[in-house]
Amino acid sequence: MAFFAVHGLVKRFLGVTAIDRVDLTVERGELVALIGPNGSGKTTLFNCVTGFMPADAGRVTFRERDVTGIAPHRIARLGVGRTFQLVSVFSRLTVLDNLLVFLQQHQEDSVLGRLLRTARLRRYEREALDRAHALLAWVKLADHAHAPAGTLSYGQRKLLAFAAALMPNPELILLDEPAAAVNPTMIETMKRHILALNREGKTILLVEHNMDVVMDLAQRVVVLDHGAKIAEGAPEAIRRDPRVIDAYFGR
Amino acid sequence: MRRAVAWGLGGAALVAMPWLVRAVAPGQQRYVLHILVFTGLFAALALSYDLVVGHVGSLSLAHPAFFGIGAYTAALLATRAGFTFLPDTLAAMILAGLVAWLIGVPMFRLHEHAFAIGTLGFAMVTHIVATNWVDLTRGPLCVTGIPRPALGMGPVAIKLTSVPHYYWLALASLGLVALLYHGLTTFRLGRAFHAVRDNEMLAAAAGIDPRRYRMLAFVVGAVVAGGIGALYAHYITVLCPEEMTVALTINLLVIVFIGGVGRLRGVVIGAVLFTVLPEILRIAPTWRLVIYGGLLLAIVVRWPEGLESALRRSGRSRTA
Repeated sequence: MAFFAVHGLVKRFLGVTAIDRVDLTVERGELVALIGPNGSGKTTLFNCVTGFMPADAGRVTFRERDVTGIAPHRIARLGVGRTFQLVSVFSRLTVLDNLLVFLQQHQEDSVLGRLLRTARLRRYEREALDRAHALLAWVKLADHAHAPAGTLSYGQRKLLAFAAALMPNPELILLDEPAAAVNPTMIETMKRHILALNREGKTILLVEHNMDVVMDLAQRVVVLDHGAKIAEGAPEAIRRDPRVIDAYFGR
Repeated sequence: MRRAVAWGLGGAALVAMPWLVRAVAPGQQRYVLHILVFTGLFAALALSYDLVVGHVGSLSLAHPAFFGIGAYTAALLATRAGFTFLPDTLAAMILAGLVAWLIGVPMFRLHEHAFAIGTLGFAMVTHIVATNWVDLTRGPLCVTGIPRPALGMGPVAIKLTSVPHYYWLALASLGLVALLYHGLTTFRLGRAFHAVRDNEMLAAAAGIDPRRYRMLAFVVGAVVAGGIGALYAHYITVLCPEEMTVALTINLLVIVFIGGVGRLRGVVIGAVLFTVLPEILRIAPTWRLVIYGGLLLAIVVRWPEGLESALRRSGRSRTA
């Protein structure tokens, strides 16, 4: 059974079928790109498989476990990390706290323990701090650790959101347009980071519009159009696929 | 070190307040301490409200209901069932918390404005019930003869009948509530609260269950409000349905937003301003409320984030 699998997923909005019986599998260690024109249902698919939207039909499995219809925070705790298309950080928390908050739910503790700040909790907190500082150094935001995240530039916030998603060391990472609306240097940085993660053995599914990014990163590409899967294969084959060219440029 | 000394001196001054007031204004002790009891109770109540409004960002308008449920529980248990102060206060807190939890389940399915209106509806229903369930609450005739509290039992009981006694009780309660507030809103728990407030979707992606944290703040806030309601009922000794109208929400919102939403120091400053300022303005009786309103307006315009933000800024410029 596949590491991560979507079977016959359907999502309708007031009669409009946004996702139409989509099947999708990602094997452990793979880097798969999900592409398609605007409105083809990529983000909706992400939202359905991570519990943010209920699907109307279909099944989602992660590590042989049925995760269909599970609340988003539970899916996150099972080891699925995700980023959002619109840059998403906790703007009033510091950069450091933005990272710490991503790990704390994965470290078991109780409300009473949190009020009393037990020794075990302080150890957790030290471990989280070490990991957060390492990740901040990796994305070169260490100098901003104590600034509110809202004061960062757009690109920096994107890097922060990316680093935060990695805090709990997720097994599967869903990235929604990591290279959108950032400058060319930042795109290169992002690409390097994503490739490095994949080489470490992380499984990655990414939604991306930037074809250069997709061609450079993905081992396999899945194409959606009007909510249905129209093609799937190696990046070079997809680039020449007439159905894909049709979907993107029209006839 | 200097901070510790300042805190120690401030704390000692607060504890010694009854004697200080007697030394400065001998004939006015009861009056001044009466105002300060209100300051303490309002500060504690506003802190419990700020847990919900300031820290998880849910604009609940139900707080007067929990205050009222606590006040009525304590008042009725004391006058009808012969309960003493501590047990009836405990019952008030438990009942307010339980009601908050029950009402929270459907309310937290609502978001933002819908949540505010839903909780407003609940508060109004509670007020109407208190007014019209005459067999239980005596309605507009009010519950009267609520005894002043006594701590302990029988021969070792300490009766808190005088105003200075009650001042210390209010001060101690405020201290406890402030400690609880601080514990809940800092470190890991506070981080999760603020994450939910700043970005609910991202919080869920971080593994945080937004509804659970909202509910926690809501129930803890209600438990504290219920306890303060009980203290209030035992202090004024007469309890009417008017104590739990929507006007109380407005007052709490004024305290929290004038002082500084989400800030312990700010909320306490707001409560002091709200209770003490109108009394000081009695020197100009005719224009009192006009001046008061004007001052509030001026504060909102000058420091939109509350008075606490002005303090923070001046503190920073001094250390810089």
